[in-house]
Amino acid sequence: MGRSQTLQVAASLGAILAWVAIWAWLTRPGGPVHTLYFPAPDDVWAKFVRMWQRPYIGSTLPNHILSSLYIVLTGWSLAALVGIPLGIAMAWWKRLKWIVFPIFQLIRPVPPLAWIPLTILWLGIGDSARISVVFIAALVPWLMNSMLAVYSIDRLLLDAARTLGANDRQILTRVVCRTALPTLVAAARMALGNAWSTLVAAEILAATAGLGYVAVNASQLLDTDVLLVAMFMIGILGIGMTGLIGMTQSWLAPWSVLGARRE
Amino acid sequence: MLEERLERMGIVNDRGKAAAYGIISLTILLILWVCATSLFQWIEPRVLPSPTRVIGQFAWILTEPFSGLRLHGHILSSLERWGWGVLTAAFIGIPVGVFFAWNPWFKTFLNPVFELIHFIPPFAYIPLAVLWFGASTATQAMVVFVAAFPAIVINSQLGVAQVQKIYIDAARVFGANQYRTLRRVVLPAAAPSIYTGLRIAISNGWMALVGAELVVGKVGLGFMIAQGQENASVATIFVGVITIGCLGVLIDTLVQRSERYVLPWRRVAG
Repeated sequence: MGRSQTLQVAASLGAILAWVAIWAWLTRPGGPVHTLYFPAPDDVWAKFVRMWQRPYIGSTLPNHILSSLYIVLTGWSLAALVGIPLGIAMAWWKRLKWIVFPIFQLIRPVPPLAWIPLTILWLGIGDSARISVVFIAALVPWLMNSMLAVYSIDRLLLDAARTLGANDRQILTRVVCRTALPTLVAAARMALGNAWSTLVAAEILAATAGLGYVAVNASQLLDTDVLLVAMFMIGILGIGMTGLIGMTQSWLAPWSVLGARRE
Repeated sequence: MLEERLERMGIVNDRGKAAAYGIISLTILLILWVCATSLFQWIEPRVLPSPTRVIGQFAWILTEPFSGLRLHGHILSSLERWGWGVLTAAFIGIPVGVFFAWNPWFKTFLNPVFELIHFIPPFAYIPLAVLWFGASTATQAMVVFVAAFPAIVINSQLGVAQVQKIYIDAARVFGANQYRTLRRVVLPAAAPSIYTGLRIAISNGWMALVGAELVVGKVGLGFMIAQGQENASVATIFVGVITIGCLGVLIDTLVQRSERYVLPWRRVAG
């Protein structure tokens, strides 16, 4: 088992190296792909180092990253603040669900991005327009999964806890929270994924800083190497944030991770 | 209580009540909208147009060309780009997914490129697509492709991986070669999962298309919304947003309904 896993990792690394080699060969001076359309790997790396130290269109790379993270995390947290209580309340009181859900169903099929022009008209091109679009994108998964989390609580477990003499507080902390937690973590992950990809589009359309803004400017200035740096950073940060949530899950709710691995 | 009695008599069940509440809540929303705009003008028409204004704009775009095309022209050009992107993703994605599951070495080799497409959000490809293809159909189709491709590959791979080993062994015992096993046994068994992948891809692609059209292009529904923003015409934006939402629901419903005709054996199995 251990040996085949090592082989697997080695093969994956080999594949990555092979692709970098193919990339370098294709974009070599006088190679088949012109660097205007796709830059060479060493150029991308050099540009990355340079952007880290010197400002590109206004800020250094770390500042662009911070600007993107600030917007995405603000919109995502605001969506959680609204979505979790509302979702739980909707699952608890049927009437509230009947009232709110149709409105929600009306808004849901519209891609969150389609709201960008409207938010720009209403709120200008400041942070608030982007935060509200991210908020809309993240709200759907938060709300739906919070509802699901309440529905997923097993009636039998509640009755069993009560029979064994648990009081309300114990039932809430020991039974309800624990069964709901994995679903909520899944909500957090989905909401963050949606929020991140929507933010990129919002930054392409209206921003003065951030990775999407860097990408669209690089495209207009034909700085393909900068564009690739921005795209890689967007991908890496997305993976990083999802990974952090996964780690939180294995820390807060280790039983759910074990269950997932068994499959 | 009257409500309880009706329920006991089976006249009002939960579903009926839910629908009633829904209709009431949507009606109140509509009344609020009318009050805020047409009746009392709490909100300026520049910020939020009245329902009649939106309907008027809708009729106007249907009859008069808006930026060169009428509404159905914009819809058709959006559908065309979306169709190209999704079709390409399906043509490349299904074989790639099947071979990912069939041959682990193929997967190991291609995985780095696949993960690149999978983990970078499709919208981040918009600037690159613009740089490569300019303002053409290919730009939007590429963004749709990037959005649709991963779901197709992952679900095709899952479908093939979940085929019971005993089917494959049985086929081999009966003397089927690799190609015949794949075509006659593995693909039909994996088809439901592949179909799920297509469904996800279709809706992901629709979302990505809107983003791509907002950024670049001279026709399409996303472009219409962007034009509405530029002309500060919220009514036009509303028309675009409503059309996009309705088409999204329509496409999803059609795909869902068509499953029983495309995959009749699934019904038997389920």
